[in-house]
Amino acid sequence: MNELQQTRVGAWPRAALELRGLFRNQAVSMLLILILLWAVLGFLSPYFFTVDNLFEITLQTAVIAIIGAGMTFVILSGGIDLSVGSVFASSAVVGGLVFTHTHSLGLALFTTAGTGALYGLANGLLITALRVPPFIGTLGMMGIARGFALIFVNGVPIYGLERYKFIGQGKLFQVIPVPTVIVLVVFVLGYLALTYTRFGRFTYVIGSNIEAARLSGIPVQRVQVGIYMTCGLLTGIASTIEAGRLATIQPAGGNGYELLAIGAVIIGGASTFGGEGSVVATLIGAIIVTTIRNGLNILGVNAFWQYVVNGLVIIGAVAADQFRRRR
Amino acid sequence: MDKLLEMSGITKSFYGVRVLKGVDLDLDTGEVHVLLGENGAGKSTLIKILCGAYRADEGSMRIAGQPVDLATHDPRSAEDAGVATVYQNFHLVPHLSVAENLSLGRFVHQRGLIRWGEVYDHAREALARVDLAVDPRTPVSRLPVSQKQMLEIAIALSKKARILIMDEPTAALSRRETEALFKTIRDITPKGIGVIYISHKLEEVKQVGDRISVLRDGMKIATLKARDADLGQVISLMIGKDLSGKGSRDAPAAPARPRALEVKGLKNRSFAAPVDLTISEGEILGVTGLVGSGKTELARSLFGIDPAVEGEFRLHGRPVRIDSPRTAVSVGIGYLSEDRDVDGLCLNLGVKENVSLVALSKARGLFFSIPAEKRAASDLITSLGLKVAGLSQQVKYLSGGNKQKVVFGKWLSARCRLLILDEPTMGIDVGARGDIYGLIRRFVASEGRAVVFISSDVEEILEVSDRILVMARREVVAELDPARSSKQEILQHASRLSRAMDTV
Repeated sequence: MNELQQTRVGAWPRAALELRGLFRNQAVSMLLILILLWAVLGFLSPYFFTVDNLFEITLQTAVIAIIGAGMTFVILSGGIDLSVGSVFASSAVVGGLVFTHTHSLGLALFTTAGTGALYGLANGLLITALRVPPFIGTLGMMGIARGFALIFVNGVPIYGLERYKFIGQGKLFQVIPVPTVIVLVVFVLGYLALTYTRFGRFTYVIGSNIEAARLSGIPVQRVQVGIYMTCGLLTGIASTIEAGRLATIQPAGGNGYELLAIGAVIIGGASTFGGEGSVVATLIGAIIVTTIRNGLNILGVNAFWQYVVNGLVIIGAVAADQFRRRR
Repeated sequence: MDKLLEMSGITKSFYGVRVLKGVDLDLDTGEVHVLLGENGAGKSTLIKILCGAYRADEGSMRIAGQPVDLATHDPRSAEDAGVATVYQNFHLVPHLSVAENLSLGRFVHQRGLIRWGEVYDHAREALARVDLAVDPRTPVSRLPVSQKQMLEIAIALSKKARILIMDEPTAALSRRETEALFKTIRDITPKGIGVIYISHKLEEVKQVGDRISVLRDGMKIATLKARDADLGQVISLMIGKDLSGKGSRDAPAAPARPRALEVKGLKNRSFAAPVDLTISEGEILGVTGLVGSGKTELARSLFGIDPAVEGEFRLHGRPVRIDSPRTAVSVGIGYLSEDRDVDGLCLNLGVKENVSLVALSKARGLFFSIPAEKRAASDLITSLGLKVAGLSQQVKYLSGGNKQKVVFGKWLSARCRLLILDEPTMGIDVGARGDIYGLIRRFVASEGRAVVFISSDVEEILEVSDRILVMARREVVAELDPARSSKQEILQHASRLSRAMDTV
């Protein structure tokens, strides 16, 4: 008996270690894929490795990465947020209106982020208080937020946001782009929150087993509301960067960003079932998503094809994840 | 005339363990043959061989005189031969109507269109056969449990079943519903049907059965006429020679100890009568009963999952209101559920993350200390004797016993004082069971702690508990002292139909 147990104990760690190695490899392999992608694109187009283009990739990544950071919390908890694209436009529009009326940039930015968080609160309450499944609740919110974005400005973009430009185009010490700084701050905070706070741990626990979380006395509903608020807040912040880049706010903007953000999280290696993933992986995922977009652009591929490629990449990532699990 | 069913010399092993050792069973037309035996006696294996879910290693079988090739017998050929099972957990499609359920997979159709007239005619005919007066258009989800069961019987009969297998059919039925079921059984058996009836409730066995076969340790011990059977004798046959069963344990904890938990008049939907109970500090209160007796419901009520609608709770003398698991946790109650994989563990998280769960949920503040978490986890691993590869090893790779220790650790690290354990040794091998018992004893040995130990394994209840509550029909029916009671006594209490039938 004792001997039997011994051998069994001996067998487990090896299997576990191999598996842990495999998981590590997943993040590493995504990094390798990214480097490969860069090499191929650099080979195909001399323009790819120009300073301008790399700068462009960083900026494009910023928006998707920040939304993706919020989406990481949601997907880790076993949920999904389809409303981020519309919330993106809606909170930018609300902030932009505040700016045109008050000319206070600070107030405008605060309102933008706050509106995003409020949409997140609404999502969270839909899911916890009304028990609407996340997929349906946020799908509904996708329509509502888009509608309000268009209603508030009657469908007309807000122009002349010159003072927004600093957020989207400014550089700190004339070197580091402001969006990059925001990305770094968001990801460091996101990493700290997921690793060192009870909120972060509960996010993993809820995604891993919501029943066990509830029976351990974790305030599941409050945490879930917090998760969707985090996602909304970060979506609002991301929208200020795009407004700054274009000096314009489009009520139709952010279209399809949910696909890109979810793609970044999944490609990074998070489990679609929740409980597994990290913000660092999401950052790599976001850079991959943007690189593909950028690559298709500079190779002169019809923009409409980008949707197709993005969709394929997400499906491919999830299929690979399922395949990995089956083994 | 040929027997409806003859099984002889049926043998079956799993992984080298013989669970059936040459069992014979026969069934006459019009007969109700009751199979009795403890958990693990081999009843369900035998039944599964009959309905083709398992393949016998040896033996032979004849249905209505026709030999059945056991090597190729499968669920399909069983159905063709007229074997049907009435399930405990109903496999009806709840959103569909009674008539649709009766015709599932065999809709009368013409050029792709369902002929609803005939479907309803067929349904009415089938319902009449079991004397079930419901509108065939009623969705199945609206039927009470008892009528669902009748419907299952009707479905089986409409498939021309001749051998009906009923596995614990009355587990979820009230007394009146049970009577109605028995009436239906008596009505259908004369029409060329034989019933194999499995139950733990000895009282009803005499009411409904013609013959009784007792299985023990994979062997058929005896077959007797139900009319002549003496229930005491039947129980001795079921549990073997050791009838004294008196525990060799010391006398239970002195009654002078302070109360850990006092519950008065606990009422909610789960119980047939208000529940009163007290647990002293340092005490292990054993709770046992059959499937559906209300044991798990008791645990869920005490832990606030199905909160009490009425009733008074006193925890260590102070009145408390437990309306959710969160409040239960905050006042120091812990709960190890029946199925640790489903609602006890986060399988894809590490050992450390799992054992710190409750402690973190009780903590305050935004941040928590990772070094402290690690220290607590490695202390627990040592004191629980957990065999793991490391603090972060994913829990899903642990054995059942080690998984259970992780759940245990989760509550220990949160310093909970009253633990409710629901079937804590289910699916755990014998060696690890001893470890779990040891943990439970050690737990109650420290200051002010107590355990509610729920189990359907009577031997384990006798071994571990200081005091025993027996539940039946969703109420507490007896309170026993393990030093002075036997397995037989517990089984008699657990299997009685009502308070009125006290004499055995």
